[in-house]
Amino acid sequence: MNTSTTEIILFIIHSLFFIYAVFAIASYVILAIISAIETKEYMKKNSFVNYKEILSSTISPSISIIAPAYNESLNIIENVRSLLSSHYVNYDVIIVNDGSKDDSLEKLIVAYDLVKVNFLINQQIPTKPIRAGVFKSTNPAFEKLTVVDKENGGKADALNMGLNISDNQYVACIDVDCLLLENALQKMVKPFLEVTEEKVIATGGVIRIANSCIIKNGKLLDVNLPKKLIEKAQILEYLRAFLLGRMAWSRLNGLLVISGAFGLFDKKIAIEVGGYDTNTVGEDMEIIVRMRRYMQEIKEKYRVAYIPDPLCWTEAPDNYKIFISQRNRWTRGTIETLRKHRKIAFNKKYKSLGMLSYPYWLFFERLAPVIEVIGIVYFTILMALNEVRWDYAIAFIVLAYFFTILFSIVAIFSEELTYHQYKKKGTGFKLLLITALEPFVLHPFILYAAIRGNIDYYFNKKKKWGEMTRKGMAKA
Amino acid sequence: MESYQYLLDYFENSPPIIKGVWILSAVFFISVIILTTYLKILRSRLRKNEKKVAEYQKEYESDLITYLYAGNEEDVISAEQQIIVDKLRSCASDEFKRRVIVSTLLRLRNEISGEMADAIQKLYFQSGLISFALKRLKSKKWYVVAKGIRELTQLHIKEVHDKIALLVNHPKKEIRKEVQLYLVTLFHFDGLQFLDVLQTQLSEWDQIQLLEVLQRFDEQEIPDINPWLKSTNDSVVAFALKLAKIYNQFEVKDTLIELLSHPQKKIRVDAIHVLSHLQVFEAKTILKNNFDKLSQEEQIEFFKLLENLCETSDEPFLLTQTTHQNFEIKLSVLKILKTLSNEKFKDLKDFSTDADYVKIYEFLAYNES
Repeated sequence: MNTSTTEIILFIIHSLFFIYAVFAIASYVILAIISAIETKEYMKKNSFVNYKEILSSTISPSISIIAPAYNESLNIIENVRSLLSSHYVNYDVIIVNDGSKDDSLEKLIVAYDLVKVNFLINQQIPTKPIRAGVFKSTNPAFEKLTVVDKENGGKADALNMGLNISDNQYVACIDVDCLLLENALQKMVKPFLEVTEEKVIATGGVIRIANSCIIKNGKLLDVNLPKKLIEKAQILEYLRAFLLGRMAWSRLNGLLVISGAFGLFDKKIAIEVGGYDTNTVGEDMEIIVRMRRYMQEIKEKYRVAYIPDPLCWTEAPDNYKIFISQRNRWTRGTIETLRKHRKIAFNKKYKSLGMLSYPYWLFFERLAPVIEVIGIVYFTILMALNEVRWDYAIAFIVLAYFFTILFSIVAIFSEELTYHQYKKKGTGFKLLLITALEPFVLHPFILYAAIRGNIDYYFNKKKKWGEMTRKGMAKA
Repeated sequence: MESYQYLLDYFENSPPIIKGVWILSAVFFISVIILTTYLKILRSRLRKNEKKVAEYQKEYESDLITYLYAGNEEDVISAEQQIIVDKLRSCASDEFKRRVIVSTLLRLRNEISGEMADAIQKLYFQSGLISFALKRLKSKKWYVVAKGIRELTQLHIKEVHDKIALLVNHPKKEIRKEVQLYLVTLFHFDGLQFLDVLQTQLSEWDQIQLLEVLQRFDEQEIPDINPWLKSTNDSVVAFALKLAKIYNQFEVKDTLIELLSHPQKKIRVDAIHVLSHLQVFEAKTILKNNFDKLSQEEQIEFFKLLENLCETSDEPFLLTQTTHQNFEIKLSVLKILKTLSNEKFKDLKDFSTDADYVKIYEFLAYNES
């Protein structure tokens, strides 16, 4: 190749990186603006909603909370108590013990006076068989509780068992270790009841990080900022994702994912599409894409709603090993879902799902870490060849760094002006400090996990769920 | 100084794109500094406001309690009360303080009843707070109007009925919702007259809220719901169906039967549900004769009705449905057959080899023992 050809190739490569970066940054800015508009409107609409009437109404729709549990013996009693303490009237709790090897079931039997019952299951979705049986409490105080003990089949399989067992109109699929606020269900069910011009098929909730928060009898007493950098950085990351990202997608009716930790679904539609996919580790994203695809195909107007209130609090990884394992799984889940539903991509038939949501996820979620790594490798090669234009490189690195900080600060602002959860003096400064540190203490690990996720997806098909060791939330 | 000059020269000699990037970086950096400072101010202000609200709340609560206990029997305002009225009147001109006064009034209004509640309402007029709420009704911002109506509802101000009734078909649903709640909370079943003119959809959420409010006033006479059951607004029909069920409106059974041929499936299903609740036998015959034309949801609801109203004469029909494809219907059929005759139910053991049938049969047989 002569010099001019090399220069042309390099120019094309540089231009592609530049265009990608401009589009990525523009999309973040646009999403942040839309989020701000949507959040403002949401706050106005909900500042005077009376949830008490729905709360006590016996004609309010019925909801089943489905919580799969696998080896959760350490916290299972407390966690179930938290789920049973909702103020919503018309609901029940289904705990699916997914073949736990520990003494979860025995603990539940003792703590909640459970006895085995004869239970007729309409097996609308195939699942692994029942192991010890279905249990109900003899104590009227726990009449809302059903415990199902089944053979191990994974989280999706356990959720499908819950869908089969539930007799209610809506199902709230949650992680058993999540702490739900007492008014969570009525806030989440509101869009289903309120929207008349479209059918709401699912509602997603915000997930907040409960590390270092004080919890007593299943209630959140005090919100604290954790001590470890990795935990604090995740708080910032969640604020950005939920307050600046999903809120915008909700307005655009383009949400592709509802966190597996807490989502409310129209049970009929969830069953009609075949329930959760047991062959993916990203079952939470996959079911939403499938439900949306189904609604598009039957040509029914629909909406996936989103509630920004801090209703669900969960324990986040507090060490890099578990964090990487979690993000590795999220990456594989995204790849699996996008591949499975590739028919949607750029398909006009699927309207905004095919022309906006899917392409965004493909380019700026799925491919972002890959492109970033290619960029790093390319930069390293240029350095080795002493071909780096340092004036350019430094200017762009500084720009990217300041943009990241600014974007995170906007997320903090959004939080302060809406829910203001981190009230304690000094917390604001700590959060600001994290905005400057996060690109070094969290982002490299997210990138590493995403690349590992890609490698595992293509070269280590056997890998399923990673490890998540529960420490339990801080108790008063 | 030298390094400063070097940077300046570097910037001057940079290509335009690099200049642009550095300018943008500087803009971002300055924005970060400004926002950081503002965040500090904002957080302090939020904390101070929280403290101030708590302080004012305490102060006004004490004033209000003094006002309530300083009244005399002659229905004339006492000197002590006048001082409090004057104080609240002057505080009400400040928006922040007014918000705290109103929220304190509302909290207190919800905790008391009878003469005390009337006194709170009187104070609301005397302190001039009502004029602020009325001003809100004229606002161009929908949420200000909605909040104004809510305040008037919570303080039971019936005098503004005509003004608020004009907003029944307001384009913003949040305002319509508040109007509906105002009318029903203050005028109970009479307030439901808005259903006659409602042009928009009444969501399930609205319906539940209205029914919950109505259930607080069970001494009221239920108006004739026939016109609502015949409404061209499907959501009004759905709401009337709920009223028919909750208040056992057996007298509207003929209209309910007419609804079995309503064009909307949801209405037809709900009508079957209400007819089942009211145990209207005529409905059973009509539905049985049209069974094959019913949608699956209607069929499921019909079998729920049959569980309530089954007779021995239904047996031949039920036997034809034991092989129905739907699990819920199969369960209903076998359950009803068992209720009608346990002996005959036992004969059905080997009636079908279908896996669901066998499972349901065994479940019902096991539950018997």
